[in-house]
Amino acid sequence: MHIFEGFLPSPWWQAWFVISIPVILYGMYKLNKLVSERREVVPLLAVAGAFIFVLSSLKLPSVTGSSSHPTGTGMAAILFGPAITAVLGTIVLLYQAIFLAHGGITTLGANAASMAIIGPLVAYMFYKAASKAGMNFYLNVFLATAIADWVTYVVTSLQLALAFPSASGGILGSFTAFAGIFATTQVPLAIMEGALTALIMKYVVQIKSDVLVDLNVLTNSTVAKLKEAMQ
Amino acid sequence: MAHILDDYAVMSPLRYKNNWLKIAIVTFGLLVGVSSNSPLVPFIIAICMSFATIYFGKIPASFYLKIMAAPAGFVLVSAIIIAFFFGEGAKLFSFDLSGFTLGVSSAGLDMAFLVLARTLGGMSCLFFLSLTTPMIELFSVLKATKLPDSVLEIAMMMYRYIFVFLDVAMGIKYAQSVRLGYKDFKTSFRSMVMLGTNLFIRSWEQGEKIFVSMNARCYDGKLIMLDEKRPVRLPELILTVAYFMLVILTFYFTRGASVL
Repeated sequence: MHIFEGFLPSPWWQAWFVISIPVILYGMYKLNKLVSERREVVPLLAVAGAFIFVLSSLKLPSVTGSSSHPTGTGMAAILFGPAITAVLGTIVLLYQAIFLAHGGITTLGANAASMAIIGPLVAYMFYKAASKAGMNFYLNVFLATAIADWVTYVVTSLQLALAFPSASGGILGSFTAFAGIFATTQVPLAIMEGALTALIMKYVVQIKSDVLVDLNVLTNSTVAKLKEAMQ
Repeated sequence: MAHILDDYAVMSPLRYKNNWLKIAIVTFGLLVGVSSNSPLVPFIIAICMSFATIYFGKIPASFYLKIMAAPAGFVLVSAIIIAFFFGEGAKLFSFDLSGFTLGVSSAGLDMAFLVLARTLGGMSCLFFLSLTTPMIELFSVLKATKLPDSVLEIAMMMYRYIFVFLDVAMGIKYAQSVRLGYKDFKTSFRSMVMLGTNLFIRSWEQGEKIFVSMNARCYDGKLIMLDEKRPVRLPELILTVAYFMLVILTFYFTRGASVL
């Protein structure tokens, strides 16, 4: 979820920049290394970023009637790893701020922290841990992206709560208020995004599984196993 | 699907003004707006920037109001939460809700208004930039920074392919909806999955194709762009300085305001 321009007061928007910038710089370093080794990834990463942008501008069908958009970054984290997703996600957030007026420039640090860094990192760690434990690939993707989407909202609630602590209950008091509204309404949407991503992966395995092998998401043997299970 | 503000920026007459001047105006507005203690300062910024966008930038006023309303949902919900939970002291009014007493104090209400005004001011600055400056112009500004070439390359190519994929996505979506692909929840979910998958596979194949085609045209990891020189004219400078003075003076006189 995007925090809009001017919403975070003075010490907080700088603080979130201080947190996100080192991570983004690390991501740029990783990206530079990858690009100098394999130059063909530049256009691939560019189209992947454009894909995240377009996916996140589609409206999810929703049960409650309220409309929301997938974040798309959980999927990117599974495909490219969290460091590169941080860079791609930040560029996407900048474009969303400038083209669609979602988010803002001073709040870019906070939005990058929640959507491009923490959410994808959680998705990636969950995905890696669960695939080591031998969880079914689709269930794993579903859970990882759903959790990432939801964590993003929890982090946003925390960011708002830190900036606007409640008089009686302090930070915890306003956190429960923000989380109560934003994080609970997001649960069905997180489930939707997880299901969407898992099904997209299912079709990708069916039609173009070599992409996933190239990206080291799956090995050839797991692809063969997944394909066998489908028939 | 959302409006792409870039479409308007390409047609705006302010496109041909100096990029650095526009960025200075926007950065100034963003920073002063976010650090002011009085709702008056961001409010003045919002009025000046909206005027500049609509009058000088020739953006239709009805469209401008429509995009200004876009953040309203999120901002209003959050402002109401702040009004209820922020600040202590005498409650302006309160009511009981199944055992909990909810009340709005004057400090909370002030804070909520300030946040609303800041968001309004910040969004108007952002809209000024995005409705008058196409991304192409901003790339030459980004080139002047120390960002690594690979990141800029990716950002530039991403910009191009956002439009290509939006076209593809819209086309698929129309085709699906005329075949009743979004008639109820279940079918719309299924259509959405197919749309996402096709988009992913298409974008991947497109990425492989561009690499081949760019290599065939001697791509060496750098896209070079023409950076046009656009001097700042005197009337623009006078107007900008007048605006800065107005905002700084208001900031100075309201610095003692009670909030925070």
